[in-house]
Amino acid sequence: MSELLKNIIRFVLLMFVQVFILNHIMLSGLVQPYLYLLFILLLPFQTPRALLLILGTATGWVLDNFMHTPGLHAAACAAIAYLRPFLIGMLSPQGGFEDTTRAPSPLTMGTGKFIFYASVLVLIHHLIYFSLEVFNFQSTQYLILKILCSTLVTLLLIFVYGLLFFEKRLRRR
Amino acid sequence: MRNLILFIRRYFHFLLFLAIEAICLSRVFSQNPFQQAWFLQFSEEWMGRLYQHYADVMQYFHLRQVNDSLLAENARLRNELLQDFSVADTSRRIIRDTAHHRQYAYLPAQVVNNSIIHAANYITIHRGRMEGVHAHMGVVSSAGVAGVVVRASDHYALVMSVLHKDFRLSVRLKRTGDIGYVRWDGENPATALLSDIPRSVTLYKNDTVVTSGFSVMFPPDIPVGYVEKVGQQPASNFQVARIRLATPFSRLSYVYVIENLQAPEQLQVESNLPSSP
Repeated sequence: MSELLKNIIRFVLLMFVQVFILNHIMLSGLVQPYLYLLFILLLPFQTPRALLLILGTATGWVLDNFMHTPGLHAAACAAIAYLRPFLIGMLSPQGGFEDTTRAPSPLTMGTGKFIFYASVLVLIHHLIYFSLEVFNFQSTQYLILKILCSTLVTLLLIFVYGLLFFEKRLRRR
Repeated sequence: MRNLILFIRRYFHFLLFLAIEAICLSRVFSQNPFQQAWFLQFSEEWMGRLYQHYADVMQYFHLRQVNDSLLAENARLRNELLQDFSVADTSRRIIRDTAHHRQYAYLPAQVVNNSIIHAANYITIHRGRMEGVHAHMGVVSSAGVAGVVVRASDHYALVMSVLHKDFRLSVRLKRTGDIGYVRWDGENPATALLSDIPRSVTLYKNDTVVTSGFSVMFPPDIPVGYVEKVGQQPASNFQVARIRLATPFSRLSYVYVIENLQAPEQLQVESNLPSSP
């Protein structure tokens, strides 16, 4: 399957899960997972930075339309799409990751590095999103707790997604 | 000039990022839920259709509760039937009721999407401009106040839920008649805060809070909620209480859109304030 087709299917799947399942589950007021941002995390390494920014913003914008939140998700997604290359540069070994046609995954990056990569970006996204969403509306303590709880649950969902879809070993091409 | 081009090329991605963030943030902070953008109406119709398919499936799971609430409402309405009341002796004089004009009309609508877990929650209903729904119309459930229409496409309307951080509703304490307002504090979708009730008024648990009828959106005396806990606010002449909302937002299937037939008149009178008495 081509990388492009794979990403399109992933986009549709994640949006579907986010809009019709996760947006309707209420664990408590503190937990609101946003799994859809995994689409931005899993774009291939070699995606040009400008394209990455535009794809990220578009992803957020699509969800904004579903959730009637003007610009909130787009702002948060643009930020992680912009910061992604820096983080990958920081984590990559000298000379970059071996196979640049591939996408970030525990296999291509190493499990530890991938967990770090995902945690940082998810945290930044949730930080921006929830801060903008509840701007001066709920107490700061509650906000911080909400960000942390939601980040943990989103990471847990990414782990579940990984169990289902990530490749177990490198395929020869 | 050459330096400028070099600068732009060097920091192109950063500048692109800043531009995107500027556009997004300007949308976040210029947010006016009543804004009428042609684009939003466009997307509203499509999102509405998509959400409707979802609601059609999910509705089966709520049939029991819907039945119960419809049954309860039927019972209530039956009890108000004119034929159940014995009429006072009318053989002597004929009363022709010219004093009553219809002011409020109710339009039933199916809920196709509803969220309760965000800070700004909206309800999408399957009624739109074609059925006469427009912005600033009140929306109630069979149990109490549900929200206010913010915009309508041809067949769908977007309703700002009571569970929205910008929602404010003028209310009255049914027992004493004192005026206050209700807003949602975002912590629990089953409760909200009642503010601006004077300290001189004693609030009791389960006091009924109803709409005041001051706004053109809601008729008076529609239940909003019931007092649950009275908070302490020592340095103020007003008290804050937590109320249990009358409407069960977690299982909302049908609502009524209220049309105030005299709204234009009231708004016109209120808008032309005389400059000097």
